[in-house]
Amino acid sequence: MDDRDNNACTEYNELSRRQFVTWSAGAALLATFVPPWLPKVVLAESYAANRDVIISIFMRGGADGLTLCAPFADPEYYAGRPTIAIPRPDSSSANKGIALDDRFAFPQAMSPLVEPFVAKDLLVVHGTGSVDSSRSHFDQQHFMEVGKPRDPTIVTGWLGRHLASITPMRTNAPLRALGIANGLAQTLIGAPQALPIPSPANFGLAGNVSTRQERTDWLKADYMGTPDPVRSAAIDTSATIDLLKTINFTGYVPANGAVYPTGSFGASLKSAAALIKADIGVEAIQVDVGGWDTHSTQAPLTGSMFNTMTGFAGALGALYKDLIAVGAHSVTVVVVSEFGRNVRENGSLGTDHGRGNCMFVMGKSIAGGRVLTKNWMSLARENLESQNDLKVTIDHRDILAEVVLNRLTNDRLSFVFPDFVPTMRGATE
Amino acid sequence: MSPPIVELEPPPSKPSPVVTAAPIAPPVRIAGNTTRRNFFRAGAAVAAGSAAAVAMIPRTGPRPRTGDPMLPLPESAAPPAASGETWGSPEIRLARRVTMGLTPEEAQLARSKGFSGYLEYHLNYNAIDDSAVTAFVATTYPQLVMTGTELYALEANAVLRQLQDATLFRAAFSKRQLYERMVEFWSDHFSISMRDVGYLKTIDDREVIRKHALGSFPEMVRASARSTAMLVYLDNNTSRVGRINENYARELMELHTLGVDGGYTQADVVAVARCFTGWTIAGRGDFRFDAAGHDYAAKTFLGQTIPAAPGTGAAGIGDGDKVIDYLVRHPNTAKYVSSKMIKWLLRYDPPAALVNQVAAVYMQTNGDIPAMIRSILTAANVAAAPAKHKRPFHFVASAMRGVNPTVKGVAGIAGTRLSLVGQQSFVWETPDGYPDDVQFWSGLVMQRWNFGDYLTALTTGDVIVDIAPFRLVDTPDGITGAINNAMFGGEMPVRTRDAIRSYLGASPLSATRVREAIALAINSTTFQWY
Repeated sequence: MDDRDNNACTEYNELSRRQFVTWSAGAALLATFVPPWLPKVVLAESYAANRDVIISIFMRGGADGLTLCAPFADPEYYAGRPTIAIPRPDSSSANKGIALDDRFAFPQAMSPLVEPFVAKDLLVVHGTGSVDSSRSHFDQQHFMEVGKPRDPTIVTGWLGRHLASITPMRTNAPLRALGIANGLAQTLIGAPQALPIPSPANFGLAGNVSTRQERTDWLKADYMGTPDPVRSAAIDTSATIDLLKTINFTGYVPANGAVYPTGSFGASLKSAAALIKADIGVEAIQVDVGGWDTHSTQAPLTGSMFNTMTGFAGALGALYKDLIAVGAHSVTVVVVSEFGRNVRENGSLGTDHGRGNCMFVMGKSIAGGRVLTKNWMSLARENLESQNDLKVTIDHRDILAEVVLNRLTNDRLSFVFPDFVPTMRGATE
Repeated sequence: MSPPIVELEPPPSKPSPVVTAAPIAPPVRIAGNTTRRNFFRAGAAVAAGSAAAVAMIPRTGPRPRTGDPMLPLPESAAPPAASGETWGSPEIRLARRVTMGLTPEEAQLARSKGFSGYLEYHLNYNAIDDSAVTAFVATTYPQLVMTGTELYALEANAVLRQLQDATLFRAAFSKRQLYERMVEFWSDHFSISMRDVGYLKTIDDREVIRKHALGSFPEMVRASARSTAMLVYLDNNTSRVGRINENYARELMELHTLGVDGGYTQADVVAVARCFTGWTIAGRGDFRFDAAGHDYAAKTFLGQTIPAAPGTGAAGIGDGDKVIDYLVRHPNTAKYVSSKMIKWLLRYDPPAALVNQVAAVYMQTNGDIPAMIRSILTAANVAAAPAKHKRPFHFVASAMRGVNPTVKGVAGIAGTRLSLVGQQSFVWETPDGYPDDVQFWSGLVMQRWNFGDYLTALTTGDVIVDIAPFRLVDTPDGITGAINNAMFGGEMPVRTRDAIRSYLGASPLSATRVREAIALAINSTTFQWY
């Protein structure tokens, strides 16, 4: 998959191409053995039914939160964005926003998310993000994924540490977490039994499909004769191949009339839903969605960003219908991006790297149906960071920590988010 | 296709040219003489179950192991006595240790020169005719000889890519194979992330690593201390009297010379940092001593006193040099570097007696790297050493050597493919370098397997794998024999040979079948060890 994006900046394109550079190495770290430093917990039963499966989504590139959830009641918003604003919901424009309350609106492209919002299963948090002020994609993605800015000693991801510090939802699950990508996102580094699986329907050897089984069997037999840890890693890998083969991904029929959009993000969420329903003990899935680095010709009403949002919201909306609306599966979805974008549009009909942003949390037990803010002020220059950017008033880790505590039933928050004391914002019910 | 925008900050891998204006990060100190990283490294082993220890578990360093830390001997690597295998041929065993992977030419060289003749051939690397590779590199990777000013003008990612590509190309195809193995070793020993220092690493690679890889260890430390890439990477460029940064001072002792157990204290770190105040960068990658920023007061480190020398200006640079002189002559440095080299060249579990023996050579020869290698790679030591697991870079280079492709460039492999197997060059973030540890690397099974498939399927583009040489005798037996000669030095275990032959014989001998068989050989467990 080529993530190269025509209106993205050079750094973003480079990062997209190389983001698995060193991170995939981390998969080797824990995939092979259960470390003795894991907390020893006696299992009362083999299935933790009260724990949600988490789908963690990273919008790579710095998604423009002021488009995703537009502050239509603020004239400063329209002053700063004469050509790329979302029209007021009470306007006559065909592209007018969809009011969420008396301050914020979704653009039309986000309409698939109205249903979960109205059902109070979708929470939008605005003015959130990393407390660090870096506007580098690489820095901020890294800081958010590891869960702490500017600490080179931390290389594991927050979700990886969550999984490493809690007993498996299902004992002996060969695969507890996966990233639907070529390499394991840093968010998941440190998780036991975690693998990067770009296409769960096709996990296995590349090359000629007709000889794949024969070659896999050959290697499986060959690796029986090698010492650990290489041998056990090969066994884990082939067990995962076998496990995923038992799931009919291609024939998967979503529930409740849900239709996943074509495109890689839709396909990823569809695979995620199939995996969760198969109930094989997977408890965390990491998915990336790209295309948000909208430096030029942002076009949120008809063009580039409209299409990106359509794919994003369509897939999330389908996942909601398929998994969450009916309430049969306990799933929480969290969506973050590394930073928001400048309040004022630039000279290329786009927006440059900013600070505060919105994030999304979706699930049956999420206190949704509202746009959560703190000290929200008008976008007048004097209220902005560096006179340009929405301030971060809610640390995104507050929200994630609450999800970890209440939906993932893990109270070791100081371990998941080191040197950080979260403020509970009422994101969960 | 980047848009016409003004960047809010310089590209991440290009250091700010105005170094004196850079804010000084406060040194992170947790306890005693140890860095935060090491605190948690120790913590992971000692305070088992401690949440903090797990939270900060570093990428590298000793990891908790499930069983005996001694690597069991792979069945496929077992000496020949019992099985009748030929894996134990001493010269070929040596060839596995001193190269990135066997080729028929290399196996022939080893056999014809004999054990010590072959080792001397590789140690005397300047005498090896490598003109073809030298010419290719000069034409294809012109940045390698550029000045800092020239490199600075280029796009940062292009600079990163060219050094990565050149590194893989040389590793795979240079005839100076032991030299390339040592370049890889020292690149980790003096590890620098290009994400932090950009083009400065290209200069470091040339002036520090490659200049001294098979030379004098003390000279390499001296060069590294003046390497602007290292000064920026470990923040010494901002260290000034009264506002020192301890980062370089600590890593100089912990990672470059004495080792973490080398007997220094936090007070020593501070004293050494004070000695290096003012060592910084000027212009585009030039070393500069900022005399005004140097601490001229007296310092004491490891029992050595450097007297106060108020107002002596540029002479203050001698403080840092005195520190290096002392450290590179310290017996703990000899032991630490010897132990690491034994691990790299011979075995994961360096025996104490051998460490002492190699350290004695270090002390006698003033850190002469070839002399140390001679004392490590003796016939007896090589014969007794269990196999080591190839790191991903080594595996990829081995596979490329094994299929002997036609190459116009290696960008796709040095970039995306090495990234997928987890070891792209010069992007490891922490200063300890990619680990030399089977436990760390063993999990990426599917990624390795898919590299074998990827490589052998290349029939167009910058890298083309021609299978005709494998089909000179176009039968399952003949092809298996050709694979054995091409990449196993004729020592493929009977078990693997039988399995390859069966795979070839299981259906008609199409080109695809042959390519798949070569991929299986590359992906086979035997090929993962050396």
